[in-house]
Amino acid sequence: MNYKVIDNNDIEILKSICPDRVYTGEEISEDFSHDELGGVKRMPDVLVEVLSTEEVSKIMKYAFENNIPVVARGSGTGLVGSSVPLHGGIMINLTKMNRILELDEENLTLTVEPGVLLMEIGKFVEEHDLFYPPDPGEKSATIGGNINTNAGGMRAVKYGVTRDYVRGLEVVLPNGEILNVGGKVVKNSSGYSIKDLICGSEGTLGIVTKAILKLLPLPKKAVSLLVPFPNLNKAIGTVPKIIKSKSIPTAIEFMEREVILSAEEFLGKKFPDNSADAYLLLTFDGNSTQEVEAAYEKVANICLEEGALDVYISDTDERKESIWSARGAFLEAIKASTTEMDECDVVVPRNKVAEFVEYTHKLQEEFNIRIRSFGHAGDGNLHIYVLKDDLTEDVWKKKLNDVFDCMYKKSRELNGLVSGEHGIGFAKKPYLFEQYSEEYITLMKNIKLAFDPKNILNPGKVCQ
Amino acid sequence: MDILVLIKQVPGTNKVEVDEKTGVLKRDGVDSKMNPYDLYALETALRIKQNKGGKISVLSMGPPQAESIIKEAYMMGADDGALLSDRKFAGADVLATSYTLSQGIKKIGKADLIICGKQTTDGDTAQVGPEIAEFLGIPHVANVRKIIEIKEKSIVVEMDMPETVEIVDIKFPCLITVEKDIFQPRLPSYKKKLETKDREIKVFSLKDFDDKNEKKYGLNGSPTQVERIFPPSVNNDKEIWQGNSDELTEKLYKKLKDLKFIQ
Amino acid sequence: MAHLKVNQEKITDKEQLIKICPFGAIEEINGKIEIGAACKMCRLCVKKGPAGAIEYVEEDIPQIDKNKWKGICVYVDHVEGNIHPVTFELIGKARELASKINHPVYAVFIGENIKDKAEEILHYGVDEVFLYDNKELVDFRIEPYTACFEDFINKIKPSIILVGATTVGRSLAPRVAARFRTGLTADCTVLDVKENTDLVQIRPAFGGNIMAQINTPNTRPQLATVRYKVMSAPQRNDEKSGKITLMDIEKEKLNSNIEVISVTKKEKEVSISDAEVIIACGRGVKSQKDFEMIKELCDLIGAQIAVTRPLIEAGWADAKRQIGLSGRTVKPKLIITCGISGAVQFTAGMRGSDCIIAINKDEKAPIFNVAHYGIVGDLYEVLPRLIEKIKVSKGA
Repeated sequence: MNYKVIDNNDIEILKSICPDRVYTGEEISEDFSHDELGGVKRMPDVLVEVLSTEEVSKIMKYAFENNIPVVARGSGTGLVGSSVPLHGGIMINLTKMNRILELDEENLTLTVEPGVLLMEIGKFVEEHDLFYPPDPGEKSATIGGNINTNAGGMRAVKYGVTRDYVRGLEVVLPNGEILNVGGKVVKNSSGYSIKDLICGSEGTLGIVTKAILKLLPLPKKAVSLLVPFPNLNKAIGTVPKIIKSKSIPTAIEFMEREVILSAEEFLGKKFPDNSADAYLLLTFDGNSTQEVEAAYEKVANICLEEGALDVYISDTDERKESIWSARGAFLEAIKASTTEMDECDVVVPRNKVAEFVEYTHKLQEEFNIRIRSFGHAGDGNLHIYVLKDDLTEDVWKKKLNDVFDCMYKKSRELNGLVSGEHGIGFAKKPYLFEQYSEEYITLMKNIKLAFDPKNILNPGKVCQ
Repeated sequence: MDILVLIKQVPGTNKVEVDEKTGVLKRDGVDSKMNPYDLYALETALRIKQNKGGKISVLSMGPPQAESIIKEAYMMGADDGALLSDRKFAGADVLATSYTLSQGIKKIGKADLIICGKQTTDGDTAQVGPEIAEFLGIPHVANVRKIIEIKEKSIVVEMDMPETVEIVDIKFPCLITVEKDIFQPRLPSYKKKLETKDREIKVFSLKDFDDKNEKKYGLNGSPTQVERIFPPSVNNDKEIWQGNSDELTEKLYKKLKDLKFIQ
Repeated sequence: MAHLKVNQEKITDKEQLIKICPFGAIEEINGKIEIGAACKMCRLCVKKGPAGAIEYVEEDIPQIDKNKWKGICVYVDHVEGNIHPVTFELIGKARELASKINHPVYAVFIGENIKDKAEEILHYGVDEVFLYDNKELVDFRIEPYTACFEDFINKIKPSIILVGATTVGRSLAPRVAARFRTGLTADCTVLDVKENTDLVQIRPAFGGNIMAQINTPNTRPQLATVRYKVMSAPQRNDEKSGKITLMDIEKEKLNSNIEVISVTKKEKEVSISDAEVIIACGRGVKSQKDFEMIKELCDLIGAQIAVTRPLIEAGWADAKRQIGLSGRTVKPKLIITCGISGAVQFTAGMRGSDCIIAINKDEKAPIFNVAHYGIVGDLYEVLPRLIEKIKVSKGA
């Protein structure tokens, strides 16, 4: 692709659109060249901080006319390099478009700008006794980023993922036109759902400048159960039985002792129990203590029947904090325990989770490399980390590649998919291409072309 | 060895506010829980029992609903529990509370070792433990951060002082108050919940005590009085300082001194 | 004394009345409203309920003669004779209170071989230091120390006793209060005195969410504990004033069931989660050498050092010192951030701090949105000057 190289004239025009909010060269923090874990870096030629849809629209119009590549970016917490400007050009920083525009209590919707952080949404709606269920681990991600990866999180078991909570979007198309899709309506059979295409499009189809989110009444009570098992197989093997019981927890997470120990070390804080090899962590919510108790007792009995060593109840803020702060630190703790790592975010049918994790244990031995995992046993989404430790760069690259190939192959065998919630971006493209047929990829490419005929918006990502 | 742990039911959250106009306490919900600091005391008892055997009793004072925290203590591993409940205990300050609990302890029989949490989250005075020890006429050690040894007739503990750590040997019967984080408290067990479903909780009131003098309990036995409650002033300062480095340093130095971070 | 009387016939709306109680102590039992064991005697039901429905009935009780109790006493907190600075802060407060009611200021000093140290107290304007100097008192042990305090109170009859809320103070004050069956108010932040010598004690309750004003109307002595650095220490006078009185106590009162086995200096290492003062460094700190400068400042003001993630990655600090959403959450009394821009990942882990001072060159840095005091300046200019100033003031 031949894109126009940014020159002073372009900068001046951008400055006329966004006075005092255009940065070049040294003024751009190195942070903007990468995301959290992508392993791919490139600085944008110019960074523009936008404050309104109109500004985004004007920038896109100009870029479209002049054939300049554009990447939109939020908090930069992605894990697959989606927001890395592979071809340089303009980066639009949306984090300052961070206003909560409207809480509509009659329609139970919240209208926000894309730069609002996930944790701010949670806090704001809870103050009004309302609930935005999607709960990805990274609370400092922007809602724009969440929509663009169709982020999942722990409560997906009961409540679904981000896409299920997006009612409507305002999108700036690559040519600068502003499009509204969906709305405050609950039902919608009005033609192709562009809204659902934009969700999970990783900034390749349009730039989300406003979102209407669906809210639920806030469940008044929540209790977590920490269930120790003698081994991981027994733990994960119990999950399909829990799901079959129809007492649906909001979250079912699994964790192994090694990861808990890393988190204890990292936080300098003891986990309430670390005596067992494997654990399930379940959460139940509801509107009264009795309702929640009835739900969890049924599941607690199933766990005991399936060989759980006990079932521990976490019902107060302190107890939840002691568990969830560790759960929240797993990623950082694993990271702190090694030199470098890469992650596989496959999703498999829920009854195949145990088989998959077991397989990674085999890979660990076969390739003699440390592999750690924890994740969402309840929705089949795994987070598997391959750790570099003391390996030399060459050995590491080779082993990583081989291990990843094995894992994605296994996932395909089990009818799984490449990514559960982190997306494809740049890093996972080869595995997507391997999974999908040519027809599928061609269809995706054509969709991209329909939105972005000049291929200027986040080029080189997902299906390209 | 008989260990007694004192526990208290406290509000589920500390989110209380005072309505500035009416002076009314605003509290959302009536959820309550075991005082988080007491969990450390109970855990300490459970660890001692694990090593040395013995029996763990818990004692609380409060309204009848406070039975729920005794059940919770059973779910964590306590063997026995009692509640002191009487409307004549209402409105008790530190002194009256301590006296009531000391009478309750005499009623259920003396323990070798009494363990209290560092403080409660609703009163946070950290004084009830030492006052009980006084009423029982036994020695106490506060701020215990480590149990070093359990001997035949005494316990050796490490006590946290501002600048130093003291190791002391204290003869039974005695009372200790333990620091947060002495041990990570275990979670209540569902298995134990099933096992202890029907376990008795003894309830005692004033008429069960040796000292039945009403003037020593509740509001009547409380030398302190709350005259008024009001919202705290919050640090709403928001100052941005600009200037040359000398001025900025001067300002920073002065602020640190005002705030007593530099002596 | 007093109790709440329920006048059933004056209750208009039972539900409404039940709701008034923030402690859920008003119950309906067999159709009658009763006050249960959860009552805290806040008397909101008296004020807010239907007129006369719940009455606060005061009974006549014999009033004590407050004139028999005179003097404001400060407990001299010390370890091995080294006086804790909270003692001087309390003497300052005691003097202020004493001047309002024209009482003397006393200090009670319990320990071994402390006569010389007692002289020092005379530089702070106390009228009399009562000294219990005995070899049984070499270490703090609760029984003999309480016995000395008891002896002092019986002989001198002070009206008010102020104790530092140190480990020792928090142990000793309640013990003494219980022995005299009198009131003790912990962790007071404001103290004043009424003309009738009643001590006005203000303290935070419910984790600091509300403040309560407490008094001890009919017992003496009145005890209060105050934390270190809440009151201001008075200037040391060059001249001494007042006198030292050596007190006698019977040996048998100094028995103890506690044996102090060892006293060791605490190792400095404190986890940042428990630290009271933190200096946090971010990417604005350019080299490991500069990092050492910040450590020096930490030592000078007794702070712990914390960092943001880039500095962990650079290998300058242990991951345990990382503040943030994915690191540790801190809530110190003071945090000074140096060269930290203030990304949410960081601020989420520290915005609960009591006082936030931010130093950053970029006046647009988001850290200034959460800071109480924002210093727009170069940390390389400000911090060395600050370190110098502190050193000079410490007389080094």
